[in-house]
Amino acid sequence: MTRARRGLLLVAWIATVAILGWIVDRHLVIGTDLRLFMPSPQTPQERLILEEIGESPVSRMLLLAISGPDPQAAADTSRALAAALRASGEFRLVANGASSLDAIPTSLLAYRYLLSPTLDEVSLDAGFLRMQLAERVRDLASPAAGYLEPWLPRDPTLELLKLADSWLPARQPQLIYDVWFDSSGSEALLVAETRAAGFDPQGQRRTADVLQRAFDASRTDGDLRLESSGPGAFSVLMQERTQGEAQWLGSVSVVGMVILLLAAYRSVPVLVLGLLPLVSAGVAGLAAVGMIFGTVHGITLGFGFTLIGVAQDYPIHLFSHQHRGVDARSSVRALWPTLATGVASTCVAYLAFLFSGVRGLAQLSVFTITGLAVAGLATRFLLPSLVPDSSRDAADSALLGRIWHAIAGLPRPLWLGVATTIACVAYLALSPRALWENDLGALTPVPPALLARDAVLRKELGAPDVRHLLVIEDTDAESVLAKAANLDPKLAALVARGLLEGYDQPARYLPTRAVQEQRRAALPDPATLRAALDEALGMTPFKPGIFEPFLADVELARRLPALGPSDLKGSVFESRVGSLLLERDDHWTGLVTLAGVHDAAALAQVAAQEPGTTLLDLKQASEDLVSRQRERMLWCLAVSGVLLVIVVWVALRDMSRVRRVVAPMALTTLVIVALLHATGVSLSLFHLIALVLAAGLGLDYALFFERAAEDPAEQRRTLHAVIVCSMSTFLVFALLALSTLPVLRAIGITVAAGVVSNFVLALLLTRPVPGPTTNGR
Amino acid sequence: MIGLTLTAAPLQAADPDVDTLLARLPRPAPDSTCFVEIRYSSLLAEPLVVSGRLEHREDGSLVRRVEWPYQEVTVLQGESVSIERAGSKTRRFTLDRAPELRGMLAGFGAILQGDRQMLDQYFAVSAQGSDARWAITLTPRNDKLKRHLSRIVVDGTENRPKCFTLEEPDGDGSLMALGVAGSGDLPASLDRGVLHAWCTDGDGQ
Repeated sequence: MTRARRGLLLVAWIATVAILGWIVDRHLVIGTDLRLFMPSPQTPQERLILEEIGESPVSRMLLLAISGPDPQAAADTSRALAAALRASGEFRLVANGASSLDAIPTSLLAYRYLLSPTLDEVSLDAGFLRMQLAERVRDLASPAAGYLEPWLPRDPTLELLKLADSWLPARQPQLIYDVWFDSSGSEALLVAETRAAGFDPQGQRRTADVLQRAFDASRTDGDLRLESSGPGAFSVLMQERTQGEAQWLGSVSVVGMVILLLAAYRSVPVLVLGLLPLVSAGVAGLAAVGMIFGTVHGITLGFGFTLIGVAQDYPIHLFSHQHRGVDARSSVRALWPTLATGVASTCVAYLAFLFSGVRGLAQLSVFTITGLAVAGLATRFLLPSLVPDSSRDAADSALLGRIWHAIAGLPRPLWLGVATTIACVAYLALSPRALWENDLGALTPVPPALLARDAVLRKELGAPDVRHLLVIEDTDAESVLAKAANLDPKLAALVARGLLEGYDQPARYLPTRAVQEQRRAALPDPATLRAALDEALGMTPFKPGIFEPFLADVELARRLPALGPSDLKGSVFESRVGSLLLERDDHWTGLVTLAGVHDAAALAQVAAQEPGTTLLDLKQASEDLVSRQRERMLWCLAVSGVLLVIVVWVALRDMSRVRRVVAPMALTTLVIVALLHATGVSLSLFHLIALVLAAGLGLDYALFFERAAEDPAEQRRTLHAVIVCSMSTFLVFALLALSTLPVLRAIGITVAAGVVSNFVLALLLTRPVPGPTTNGR
Repeated sequence: MIGLTLTAAPLQAADPDVDTLLARLPRPAPDSTCFVEIRYSSLLAEPLVVSGRLEHREDGSLVRRVEWPYQEVTVLQGESVSIERAGSKTRRFTLDRAPELRGMLAGFGAILQGDRQMLDQYFAVSAQGSDARWAITLTPRNDKLKRHLSRIVVDGTENRPKCFTLEEPDGDGSLMALGVAGSGDLPASLDRGVLHAWCTDGDGQ
């Protein structure tokens, strides 16, 4: 190929990748909902769990604390912050203890007679009014006079105050300067419910930025500090830490790779050309995922690039086999059967993820398979024309010659393989500890100090538990509310018995239409009410005629249609009711949040008595989901393992060669699982992904070692290639293994250990048997 | 002291000095004293009268105990207020809800403790009358307080504060007579003018 044509090919390749990359960048939506990595729900119960894990008000709840030397400044900031957050549109509900007396829209004021339970017990007759007015006279002579006086003409029974009081949490923090404070009186406390779902780190990130900006704008004192806690805050924190650490480790490993490749090939063009298949693989993988799924998950992106890192090995094999007098195109032809077998069998292994039933993993599968196939094909058909003729030959290296000679003298301890297999299987079978980790949170653990702090704030605020939730389902809102109302006295009984510290349910804010209509029917007609009021006023010092606004409000209430969920738009009720009463597809869901659950069994009993009501233990339920998901995953892996062996057999057509190629990989998987278990690590989904990656690497090493023909020079070139491949991979994953984050460490340790084990076992078990066996092929 | 110079300018020579008056009040203030309070409201045809005791507790809280015509205990501690009355639920609220109460407490506390700095923080202060029969007038400085409270007048004789009179912008208000055991010791008429005259012991007429 002429220089000009070579240049043209290079430009065309780079341009194609760049254009495709640009299109992908413009159209690809990166999703961050972690539930994409949870199994797709199979049963109504699973669907409910997945909905509640991310959507429930509890998972959206942020607990905020403002601390500083001056409580008054903290209180002022709490008020300003609450107002700013409400105005930001990122929050459904912000509460800081300040009573909502004036927050109730005037248009809904008359509804107090339909919403307040007072009139269930008594009626607005002369006796009740006389008693109430007598109390109001005493109120006017008390220090509360200034605060109550403006409301009296309209609301002599203080129904509005009773309603506002009834909406406050049953156990609320103390009020200082009219806002919630912790029990030591030094921190102002707030509760905010985000619009973004709890498991949407991107949405939570945006919310966290809004929160910080609002705080900076509302703080009245530079010494004030804002703390936020809760599932959303934690997901932002952990994502940042994971990203930060992965980036840092990533940059270090890129530097290491560059140094390694320069040392191995002493050529900058080779270094740059070596990157082209990898970059093409990434862009093609993204394009494929974008075309099939529309969006790509952030995790798919992160893991995907880790997994297709294997593609870096393909050009390395080509470069290492380059030598004087041989055109790159002919040397790649010789390598291709082996390389193609490696690519095909690795792709087959990743097929398992496609059928795992988890969208995120299916994306990962499509990304990796497309990427690896493109990298393999690019190495075969594009790269050879561009590689400059090499003046160096890895086979010339005296060191490699000596190493190969030493390797040839190594024993071939087949018995060791058998013994190791038996030992590992026996150990894993007999160990009493659980092999698997079901708790998803264990992989990105929130620091214990923050969890402890969260528990303290939750207790101070009487905020609901993140673990338990009662879910009521029915076809219409009215039935859900009726069930919630039925549950109320039973839950109150649990609170009285000390088995539960608190709860919140939608009918507390929005009674059923039936109840509202019943209350409305109990309101006296204008003439009766006026007569009763006049009678009650008789003995009081109140001036005649001042309660006209009260008479007008009751008359208005008598004509009001009962309030339903759809009438609440734009009012303070909307967010209060909306987070506990939701319309989903064709049914309505009511949520009862629970605080301080001491006896889950008693709650389950209460739930069992009310049809359509379920007690969700989100931790238990998600662990069950994870374990079901893993079972399916393992079946898929088993199937793809069989397929992989078939691919290798089709390529090699010799059972003993297949055995030698597959043995290191299989044994390595077993050894790593046993080692991880022995060091107290519980296996997770991410370990499984890493194990598949390690197995794919091992297969490549074994295939190339097995291929290394009797030609000593070719043997040395293969050795060079495998050493460069394994060293670069080991470098990347050993760095990852240093991470403080269990999820990164899991992958790092698994793959790094896999590289070492695969390399050693491939040397011991796979290297070609000299003599007739090899010659016979 | 702009307020002082403006309001008291014509009589400046004759008016007593606020600091001298404050310094004369007994320290520490008595931890318990009886009171009668009369409340005027535009909602009411006639004023309300209650009597009882005011107590200063060691923890800094102020307790207002109504003993007649019914039993009621108000505890004012820091920013929070709780009112407990036989037969009804304890009512709790904070001073932010009742700015006039915050102002009254600040004025009351500062006068009893002789805390001139605290007085100046909330009010423009002026004094009238003579050393024997004096009046200190407190006019709120900030707008929020001004909306709820026009002024507080403290009438006293010698070293004893006698009446705290609160005037609100809407014409409502109250008068608290200290060291008075029951309404029997007050004039028979609860008319504001009559009571004011009583507080100033006839000098104001």
